[in-house]
Amino acid sequence: MVASSACALSLGTPYVPLHRLPGALVEGDTTLAGIVVSELRVPRLILALVAGACLGAAGLVLQEALRNPLAVPEMLGVSSGAALGVAAPLVLAVSLPAAVQPLPAIGGAALGGGLTLLAAGLGRSPSAVLLTGAAVAAALQAALLVLMVMADQLDLQLIYRYLLGSLSARTWDDVTGLWPWLLVAVPALVLCAPVLSVLRLGDEDAEALGVRAQRARLAALAIAVVLIAPVTAVCGPVAWVGFLAPHLARWFNPGADAVRWLPWSAAWGAVVVAVADVPARLALAPVETPVGAWTALLGVPAGVALLRSGNRRPAASHRTAGTAAASRGEATASAGTAAASRGEATASAGTAAASRGEATASEEVR
Amino acid sequence: MSPAAVWDVLGGGGDTTERHILLQLRLPRLLVALGAGACLGVAGLVLQSALRNPLAGPEVTGVTPGAVLGAVTATGLGLAGWESPLAVVVAACAGGCAGAALLWLLAGRGRSDPAQTAVHGVLVSAVLGGLTAMVLLVAPGELGSVVQWLVGTTEGRVWQHWHLLWPWALAWGVVAWLLSGPLTLLRCGDDIALAAGLSARRARTLALLCAVALTAGAVAAVGALGFVGLLVPHVALAVFGADLRLTLPGAALVGAAVVCGADAAAQLSSRLLAAALDSGRLTLPVGALTACLGAALLLVVVRRAPSRTF
Repeated sequence: MVASSACALSLGTPYVPLHRLPGALVEGDTTLAGIVVSELRVPRLILALVAGACLGAAGLVLQEALRNPLAVPEMLGVSSGAALGVAAPLVLAVSLPAAVQPLPAIGGAALGGGLTLLAAGLGRSPSAVLLTGAAVAAALQAALLVLMVMADQLDLQLIYRYLLGSLSARTWDDVTGLWPWLLVAVPALVLCAPVLSVLRLGDEDAEALGVRAQRARLAALAIAVVLIAPVTAVCGPVAWVGFLAPHLARWFNPGADAVRWLPWSAAWGAVVVAVADVPARLALAPVETPVGAWTALLGVPAGVALLRSGNRRPAASHRTAGTAAASRGEATASAGTAAASRGEATASAGTAAASRGEATASEEVR
Repeated sequence: MSPAAVWDVLGGGGDTTERHILLQLRLPRLLVALGAGACLGVAGLVLQSALRNPLAGPEVTGVTPGAVLGAVTATGLGLAGWESPLAVVVAACAGGCAGAALLWLLAGRGRSDPAQTAVHGVLVSAVLGGLTAMVLLVAPGELGSVVQWLVGTTEGRVWQHWHLLWPWALAWGVVAWLLSGPLTLLRCGDDIALAAGLSARRARTLALLCAVALTAGAVAAVGALGFVGLLVPHVALAVFGADLRLTLPGAALVGAAVVCGADAAAQLSSRLLAAALDSGRLTLPVGALTACLGAALLLVVVRRAPSRTF
């Protein structure tokens, strides 16, 4: 994290050598380097770290709550919903006061996530939730594209860049706008972390321990929405950080539980965004590329690789490293897809039978 | 234009303006919409049968985003423009095949596991979407003209598109129909298929290839029309029953009707919107309409499906 922060502060035009950074920060507004560092690079870096931490934590909350290694904001329609909430006022030229700005984003995010969960149900297999979420996200994307078609060419550029998640031209105002939301979200996160560990045991065991599983899931989703939406409102949906960060956290300490993964996941998210922001600024200079494109390109393959290596690890290592309960949870999570396909095998003729039933039913109606 | 005038023109009469509008603009547009809808419907049904997953669709196999990426890249590099439909179509096909190949590589050993294939498909789509975004930002001037690829539209389709689309669609449609027997077995599960003497993996591979080709053709013609390939099969199964020998042509019919109807509805609503907002240049793309309707229908389909079928 320190290395990526140093890179973020010193690289670019003008280049500020490392040993001059403290000086530049102290001098503030007197030299060119000082102004660039303190007014442009520092807020940008802080925003990247905060946004990454939020997305990473939200990703972990979602994955643990749905016991689904693929439940990520992008795939649940949460990110697309938030983006839609932000883009709509932009295109329709409705001006909002800065304090209210995250509200449409939160509404959109809640709408997207709610739609997906409503459609998929809370206890479905991971792949079912994923596919439904992908479809909901696609519908929201289409609504966004319609808005883009309505916008004129100059707006289009801005919106598109924003939709990919970009940290360009963000200043201290944007950073200060995030604090109130974080004040709401962080205590909630701390409170819900132990419940998440219990949810891993499966619904029956959680109920036996006095956790209302469905309500806990909804609460987790709400927390994730509150974490994701303000970040999205400021710098767009930085893609796939919520997928990569939790998997990194798990991969580095496989024996831990949700409580211990949460801070790690936030830290990894911050590092991922800060690191991705460096090529986003410098790769095609002087044109800035959106950081979201980089996280998508690098995050998905890396996340898949981590997922696979995590699945291949023998459960024995977990038992020596951590609690048996954690390894059981791992096993259920990783066996989710396998179980789903087994379930398919048993109910394989289900669809065919169902459609036959429909056919006869429709004939009866006739 | 009144139906009588249309009849006149089709019979060889009518004045020159009417003739031109009908024969050079509206007819090819209608035919392309029908052809693309049929392709998507059949591709969706083939995919859902082969993967035994009622939520599989061309959108989640990496084919659609791949084809979009191909078209966008070709346009961005200046290799293809609106004056050369052929180049765009070829680029889209190449992109679609590349997307499918990527899925192939990623799915690796889990190729025979339908759920895994679907999951990997979503991830591949995400990566390709990121790439498309990158290309668009490198060549920002093209953004306006390319947005319609991203949504799917039948604006400005001419005879050239139709001539490119129909042989491709017909050939692969016949292949799909020939596959209907094996596909019916695959729907019943691998064990039953194996017991009946069908090599499940080989049949599934062939089916996937066929679905990819059909999707690539459709996307090359009209762009990424959302949800048609996902939902038309459900309608077709409800109407025609589970015998794929009958339902595959049925899916083609339903798909064609749906896209054509959506096109008509989109044009009507564009006119109404333009009249309401006093802006002459607002056109609602077909894809927007199919996506919004599709999302609503999807909720119904998923809620109705028994919980362990996918």
